[in-house]
Amino acid sequence: MPYKLFDVSKPIPERKEHTYVKHCNDPEDCIPKCNSKTIPGSMTERGCAFAGAKGVITGAIKDVAHVVHSPIGCTMYGYGSKRYPTTTELPDGSEFPVKDFNIKYIIGTDLQESDVVFGGMKKLRQAVRETNKEFPFVNAIYLYATCTTGLIGDDMDAAAKEMEEEIGKPVIAFNAPGFAGSTQSKGHQIGNDTLFAKIVGTTEPPATTPYDINFIGEYNIDGDLWLLKEYFNEIGINILSTFTGDCCHNELGWMHRAKLSVVRCQRSSTYIAKMIEEKYGVPYIKTDFFSTEYCAENLRTVAKFFGLEDKAEEVIAKRMAKVGPELDFYREKLTGKKVFIFSGGPKSYHLSIPLHNELGLETTGVSSMFEHEDGFEKMKDRVKEGALVIDDPNTLELEELIEDYDIDLILGGVKEKYLVHKLGIPSLLIHSYENGPYMGFEGFLNLARDMYSAIYNPVWNILEFQETEDPDVADVTGEAAEEVEK
Amino acid sequence: MHHDKKVTEIHHDKKFSVVNPSKMCQPMGAVQALLGLKNSMPLIHGSQGCSTYMRFQLTRHFREPIEVASTSMNEKTVIYGGEYNLMKALKNITEKQSPSIIAVASSCLTETIGDDMAGIIRKFEDANPDKELPVIVPISTPSYTESHVEGYNRTIKALVENLTTLTAPNGKVNIITGFLSPADVGEVKEILNDLNLEGIILTDTSENLDAPLSESALNLYDGGTTVGQLEDTANSLGTIALSKHADSAGEFLEKKFGIKLISGPLPLGLENTDSFIRSACQLADLEIPENIEKDRGRLMDAMVDAHSYNYHRKMAIFGDPDFVSSMTRFTSEMGMIPTVVCTGAKSKRFTEDIETISKEKECSPVTLAGGDLYDMHEAIKKVGADILIGNSYGASIADEENIPLFRAGFPIFDRLGAQRISTLGYRGGIDFVDRLTNTILDFYYDEAGYEIVEEEDMIIEDQKFAEEEI
Ligand code: SF4
Ligand code: SF4
Repeated sequence: MPYKLFDVSKPIPERKEHTYVKHCNDPEDCIPKCNSKTIPGSMTERGCAFAGAKGVITGAIKDVAHVVHSPIGCTMYGYGSKRYPTTTELPDGSEFPVKDFNIKYIIGTDLQESDVVFGGMKKLRQAVRETNKEFPFVNAIYLYATCTTGLIGDDMDAAAKEMEEEIGKPVIAFNAPGFAGSTQSKGHQIGNDTLFAKIVGTTEPPATTPYDINFIGEYNIDGDLWLLKEYFNEIGINILSTFTGDCCHNELGWMHRAKLSVVRCQRSSTYIAKMIEEKYGVPYIKTDFFSTEYCAENLRTVAKFFGLEDKAEEVIAKRMAKVGPELDFYREKLTGKKVFIFSGGPKSYHLSIPLHNELGLETTGVSSMFEHEDGFEKMKDRVKEGALVIDDPNTLELEELIEDYDIDLILGGVKEKYLVHKLGIPSLLIHSYENGPYMGFEGFLNLARDMYSAIYNPVWNILEFQETEDPDVADVTGEAAEEVEK
Repeated sequence: MHHDKKVTEIHHDKKFSVVNPSKMCQPMGAVQALLGLKNSMPLIHGSQGCSTYMRFQLTRHFREPIEVASTSMNEKTVIYGGEYNLMKALKNITEKQSPSIIAVASSCLTETIGDDMAGIIRKFEDANPDKELPVIVPISTPSYTESHVEGYNRTIKALVENLTTLTAPNGKVNIITGFLSPADVGEVKEILNDLNLEGIILTDTSENLDAPLSESALNLYDGGTTVGQLEDTANSLGTIALSKHADSAGEFLEKKFGIKLISGPLPLGLENTDSFIRSACQLADLEIPENIEKDRGRLMDAMVDAHSYNYHRKMAIFGDPDFVSSMTRFTSEMGMIPTVVCTGAKSKRFTEDIETISKEKECSPVTLAGGDLYDMHEAIKKVGADILIGNSYGASIADEENIPLFRAGFPIFDRLGAQRISTLGYRGGIDFVDRLTNTILDFYYDEAGYEIVEEEDMIIEDQKFAEEEI
């Protein structure tokens, strides 16, 4: 049977279809059921569409004010929760007055009962006026629907249109109330659709070059973008627009002027690349910059499009010389260690092969909260037979997994991290990183170093209380301890 | 009123929107309260985003595993009502985790569609006559009224109201804690222990949210307040609500069973701790034991020792209302000058408390009740502050104003040990005085012990976020 029902999930037999144990290489045959309604009470880790739209897609934009039309909670939880650093540089050479404005400020309508009864439109309009007054320097104002405002039927688009005329700068509504779709993925899509429909094609870049790309689905988690940007610059490729890491509102408007769209996070942003191709004829490619191999391969592909292969080889050689020797050290230390990737989405297929090929780790299993079929096909394709491929797992299942499988490291999120530690297993934040960036050559080295330091944390060797003063009884993590004894 | 005038001046006519809120929603308060229950599972009836967001905030604060279930409502169920999802979630949680108690908090979504949670729960119970079901308690927590503080209050009230039963006097005292750090709850328990008084702690997070690395499977919380203790609350000597904003359960017990209620203050600082000790002794007719007197003496000693460093410092304080008002009193006791005090909840009790303290201590802080961090920042720019006390959301303000942030409250996600921050009682007070004064020494004094007079370039570490892919 290629599907598995965890013991802890026996009372919820539906969970079985979501937990696939790889048994063949046919991508069409057998993948876990995914992107379907969440089972109530299953202790899901999934987020909502609003989180997908604001938290993932638009929250990285540096020069817009975000107004969440909600009771206090949704606004509050969307405040400063993403590690998306931004600079103050704007493409026309001017300076935005506040660094990390996107992280530091959130605005909400703090809906009250009377608003729920009589509608919140007036309040929303006033909030936009006030936002424009308090933050006159923002270049656009984005409005977000949430469950409550979706339910009471406030016409966000109408409010946006009206306010845009009144204040004379773009006001855009994102209609992704939390109950839309089955995961945050729905919010990614709505974010893409809205930004495409409302912004792309509305502005012109200050200058263009024959080497312009859109870098799509790169959000600059912990500075990933800044690192990758160096590579592109050195090759001679110009990032005309980033969707949406450290980008500004106007930049999204001229995405139709690029020569090529390079899609980094395929789950959250292939939508807009496709739409731009269809409407404006800008081709797109899906890429992957995790690990030295993938990064090199994809830099080559992008460079080839512009006839800059030689430059790419230079950049790759230079970076490999820099990180290669240290990576060798970590490969030696990490070879044979078993890892489980408990990621939100695409990292579960980005990482399994490089971790094996370049660092010698084995992937015991992968999971995702919000991937769709195409993502799960890749996940399945890139793990060995017998590995687990799980949709929407929960912490109870994670616990069982840790007990039943031999796992040396969990790559997961903050909701898993501390549980895993209690069980005596190292874990690393892979959504937001520990000491990132993790992409690109230097980033992969950071990841290797963090994995090494998590597994070889000296605490793991002294977990057991010593009844006697015999120093070499400690054997907790098995191999790690053996390593020490050698 | 003098203060009110200032409040309106500071508000910038920003009446409709909130910028960088200083409050959270009611279900969050419910979850905060439920984390102190033994063998329990909180369930939020709504879309899954709410519970995921709350788990995320709580986990990164405590650095502990936190479980919150959701009924995962979606487009379709929103139209037909949440009965199917709630029944299904109750079934799944009962069978999968078999808790002794499931507390179901509503959300904006299910309040707006008007789900009858109590009715659905009854239906679930009727449908499962031969199964051993957990106790299931519905709590109405719409976030478009009030804040997490009220959510906490309603939760304790719902638990007590649903479960308490009059049997025989137990000689205990009910303590409603409000949302405290596990260390602070632990300190309250220690004080009761010193007094030789048994308490029913509502709710006891001291073990659950500061758990050891045990290498063994984690089930539901095995520490915390039990269903039996909740039932027993009607038989106590009295109730002390440490949080004035979480005393509704005490009012209920007083009205229905004649159990005396003493509401506040939070035992933070010398005078407030005195009040708490007095209340406890009064309820149980006790003498103050010697070790408590010694602790009191140590706190006074610490305050006197610290005074030359901190007496003229201006303080800005934000957080939950009881925390802010008692911290205002405490820092005034230390000779510091509260200049801005801010809480997200609109609370008359809070404003009254600040007025009393202002009169007694001859200070006049800008008071923001129902304020947000943006207003607070504007106020700080106007009236100045040498140190900011509050949660991690204050970091960028402190950075911009070049003052230190002393982290206390919730959430704290950019430093470790939030569960061990101790401020309550005489002993917590000592800890606080030491740490606050050392923060001042680190920031305003040089290595030779001289006060730095000129403006120096202070580098405050950038906020680091632990975060989630959501
Ligand atoms: S909908 Fe209500 S319950 Fe949910 S996060 Fe928003 S404010 Fe809180
Ligand atoms: S109320 Fe809806 S939009 Fe707000 S956090 Fe909850 S699920 Fe998301």
